[in-house]
Amino acid sequence: MLKDITFGQYIETRSPIHKADPRVKMILLIVAIVFIFLSKNFFALGVSVLLVLTVMTASKVPFKMYFKNLKAVLPIILVTSLINMFYGDEANGVLLSFWKITITYDGLSRAMFMALRIILLIIVSSTLTYTTTPNDLTDGIESLLSPLRFIGLKSAVHMLALMMTIALRFIPTLVEEAGKIMNAQKARGADLENGKLKDRIKALIPILIPLLLSSVRRAYELAEAMECRCYNGGEGKTRMKQLKVTAVDYVLSLVSLLFGAGIILCNIFL
Amino acid sequence: MAILEVKNLTHTYGGNTPFINDAVKNVSFTVEKGEILGVIGHTGSGKSTLVQHLNGLLKPTDGEILIEQTNIWDNPKEIRKVRSKVGLVFQYPEYQLFEETVYEDIAFGPKNMGLSGKELEQRVLQTCEIIGVKEEYLQKSPFDLSGGEKRRVAIAGVMAMNPQIIVFDEPTAGLDPKGREEIIDVIFNYRKATGATVIIISHSMEDMAQIADKLLVMSKGELVMFDKTQNVFKNGERLREIGLNVPIVTRVFEALQKRGIEIPCDVFTVERAVEVLKRIKAGDPNA
Repeated sequence: MLKDITFGQYIETRSPIHKADPRVKMILLIVAIVFIFLSKNFFALGVSVLLVLTVMTASKVPFKMYFKNLKAVLPIILVTSLINMFYGDEANGVLLSFWKITITYDGLSRAMFMALRIILLIIVSSTLTYTTTPNDLTDGIESLLSPLRFIGLKSAVHMLALMMTIALRFIPTLVEEAGKIMNAQKARGADLENGKLKDRIKALIPILIPLLLSSVRRAYELAEAMECRCYNGGEGKTRMKQLKVTAVDYVLSLVSLLFGAGIILCNIFL
Repeated sequence: MAILEVKNLTHTYGGNTPFINDAVKNVSFTVEKGEILGVIGHTGSGKSTLVQHLNGLLKPTDGEILIEQTNIWDNPKEIRKVRSKVGLVFQYPEYQLFEETVYEDIAFGPKNMGLSGKELEQRVLQTCEIIGVKEEYLQKSPFDLSGGEKRRVAIAGVMAMNPQIIVFDEPTAGLDPKGREEIIDVIFNYRKATGATVIIISHSMEDMAQIADKLLVMSKGELVMFDKTQNVFKNGERLREIGLNVPIVTRVFEALQKRGIEIPCDVFTVERAVEVLKRIKAGDPNA
């Protein structure tokens, strides 16, 4: 059960997308999402599909991994498209009709459109997490939010980024710890799998209390270790790994914008 | 009569992933009732994985575990009953304390077994007496105790289930010499009082020489040696090959022998060393 929890789904394939600057990737992700939403007809959406396929191929991440992500949100896709199916203009022809339910051609095409759009959104978002390590992501976020320093939030940005880094860093540790504590309590006869909801919630107490205590202990230890290394907040801190926009990033941006132009042209002329 | 029998146990982590890893490979051994078995091996040799099979926390990928001639996985729904027969004390057990009082924490295990009322109280008090948890501690919060005391209470929590086999994963890790002695005493006292079988994982060859009747040596998931403690420690070369060693006192005797001093090498504890040296001093040729 616990081993299924993965956070940050980074997959190393050394593709050009992996090498790109996380800031550029994040901005391009937002741009791509906007373009996918802007696609008004199937032609424009077709261009979006091409865009997403290009990104998927370029990332060298096995397609299987993308579909795995889709499986998790399949219910959302199904519900959204089903609901859309029943709201169509009957003027364009009725596909079938029984009892109080009518399915129109219009509704059907809208359902497909919605489903495809959600699928594209999910795939394009997973590209970011598949190709960017959680640490790069936080660095990117910190850098993107750095303009906030002009309104006096400089240390807030740094603290936010630090908190994210620490949280990400400790997820696997805590998962492991939770596993150990669960085993220890199971060895003392704790029953975590059976029983009524109330009993199961109660059964969590022997796990949560030690886990909470050890998190607090770890927090103290970490704070001490950081102080020992003269950590004093973000002021004047330099980075070992500097974020740099390189050729790959220009190519990525160019490709994205070309596809974006295609989508807009399709929207206008087709 | 063998109380525990492990037959061809194999455990593979990460079945269908690229991270597939045989943590334990085809391990078989038997433990007699009342024995103290030491398990030694390099970090990552599969010791912890092995012992987690004994009370059904892990299910074997292949092979079987028999306790009193019954396969523990015959009835998977009853696996929790196995856990009261085979107690498992994890590394740093003090981190699993959670109740408000020491008494409540020790009572957690027996309560899960279905004990209540007088019986439960009796069981807790009995255990405390065996392992020396003072009565005035019982109403204290376990978090107010010192490190060594916490560990003792945590061990009591497992012992209170009255297991016939009790397994310790590095029970003395991180304790000072006095704390170490105390925990070893606790283990001996429990065995004396209940006749239980004890299995101990340890990195300390000195501890092992002192307490274990038999040793099981693991390396890279495989069982390398399984023999009486003195026979295992006679194979110093083989132990060093797999990143282990013999007790320090034995190393001293080996070094003396290499320098041409006629001295026996089967000396594994300081007590025995003193005895041997005294006899040599007295001029006993059969020392």
